[in-house]
Amino acid sequence: MDLGFKGKIALVTGAGSQVGFGKETALLLAKEGCEAVAVTDVNLEDVKKTAEAVKKLGCKSIAIGADITKKTEVDAMVKRAVDEYGKIDILCNVAGAILHKDYVPLDEQKYETWSKQIDLNLFGTMYVTRAVIPHMRKQKHGAIVNIGSGSTHQYSMGVGMYAISKYAIDLFTKQLAYQEGKNGIRCNCIAPGPAPTNFGAVLREGAPPPPPEQMKKMRDAMLVAFPLGRMGTATDIANITVIMASEATNYITGQVIQVSGGNVM
Amino acid sequence: MDLGLKGKVALVTGAGSQIGFGKQIALLLAKEGCDAVAVTDINLDDAKLTMEEIKKIGKKSIAVKADITNPADVAILIKKVVDEYKRIDVLCNVAGGIASRVPYDQGKPEDWDKDIRLNLYSIMLTCQSVLPNMREKKAGAIVNIGSGSTRMYSHGTGNTYAISKAGVDTFTKQLAFNEAKNGIRCNCVAPGPAPTNFIPGPDKQAMVNMLAKTIPMGRGATQTDIANATIFFASDLSSYVTGAVLHVSGGSVLD
Repeated sequence: MDLGFKGKIALVTGAGSQVGFGKETALLLAKEGCEAVAVTDVNLEDVKKTAEAVKKLGCKSIAIGADITKKTEVDAMVKRAVDEYGKIDILCNVAGAILHKDYVPLDEQKYETWSKQIDLNLFGTMYVTRAVIPHMRKQKHGAIVNIGSGSTHQYSMGVGMYAISKYAIDLFTKQLAYQEGKNGIRCNCIAPGPAPTNFGAVLREGAPPPPPEQMKKMRDAMLVAFPLGRMGTATDIANITVIMASEATNYITGQVIQVSGGNVM
Repeated sequence: MDLGLKGKVALVTGAGSQIGFGKQIALLLAKEGCDAVAVTDINLDDAKLTMEEIKKIGKKSIAVKADITNPADVAILIKKVVDEYKRIDVLCNVAGGIASRVPYDQGKPEDWDKDIRLNLYSIMLTCQSVLPNMREKKAGAIVNIGSGSTRMYSHGTGNTYAISKAGVDTFTKQLAFNEAKNGIRCNCVAPGPAPTNFIPGPDKQAMVNMLAKTIPMGRGATQTDIANATIFFASDLSSYVTGAVLHVSGGSVLD
């Protein structure tokens, strides 16, 4: 199926992690025919590796370092991408993280923790989107895909503040879809279930992963709640992100799609 | 993008109407690599027209007449397809209709029953008949057509149509849960208004355009919009998605 990516310019945030959804999404956009995929991350060295991998596929790319919680860095990042390629057709808001320890109840967290979580996941996404929107309005065309989270519907995950920030992204997606429909800009959200990305390492605060037997035990216990019987992969998420960014879905907007093997229905 | 449909056998219900979603879905399945696409409709002559177009694409097809509200017809339909192709990998439940436009409080249970039979029981019947074949191979993708009317309260379709389609949403999730362990996924595509036979009168597009005034994207759905979303759920691209209801309505349903 031709996804209509020919000549399209994409921007993917959070594309630094070499095991994350952002990199996988950037590579798939390149494979499926985008003319250029600009990639950004707070960690420039990491995201340079992603840009190199994109270029190997015969697609143009630049790596831009930016902390999406800082408005000036975001504006400069988007300006850099537009200066380079003249436009942005597709924005994939992948950057985000869990900034609090697992299973710490909301009331035991500091106000600063709440605030940082919202700053990164919600306001970060909103900053980037706000900077990109004028360019999409100009051409009356654009596709935005946000990464949400299955944790918005999984009350036992122990990541309450993170889930709150991600639920806000669901709603931001809908508000933006409603507002920008008349400008030809679509906005949808992909909500992944747990996957083998760096999110686990963040939760462990740098501690080494548990021994393999314990890891397997934990995974088996968790899988009971996943009807399709497996964890998600970066490819699962990239496939659907790319579809929602494509012309194949140009009448779909404001939707949140759970990609969690039936864990969230 | 390769959708992984190569070699697959699909069955599409409600594929008779030449301006409907079913035909468009059947053709797209054929174009995207399915080995065979069986089509069914209550109107055999119409379904044959669709079959001929599939064959023109170079893919196998049979047209089968069935009233999918009739359990005996459904059993024969599925048997015919399995006898012909040995398997069914993809089932697209498109057949349905607005059986009653009478507001429910002015109707009798017999009127309500018509929509439930046509839109909900029909899908439950085809799934029930197809499941044994899909379970045997531990693989299968089912896509049901729902409706944006489940969330649009002033749509004038008569209440029982929307209620029957809400039943389809929930059936989708129940089936997804039940059959995941058997490798069978089940998802639902919920279209907004489109110029199909669901719209009464001769100028269907004009009616859709009028309805589209309240749609954020400013236009009604097309058969292609719905076929694209359906194919995506039928394909391996969505192999980790099950139990989802996806509204394809230009932003008119956001929640």
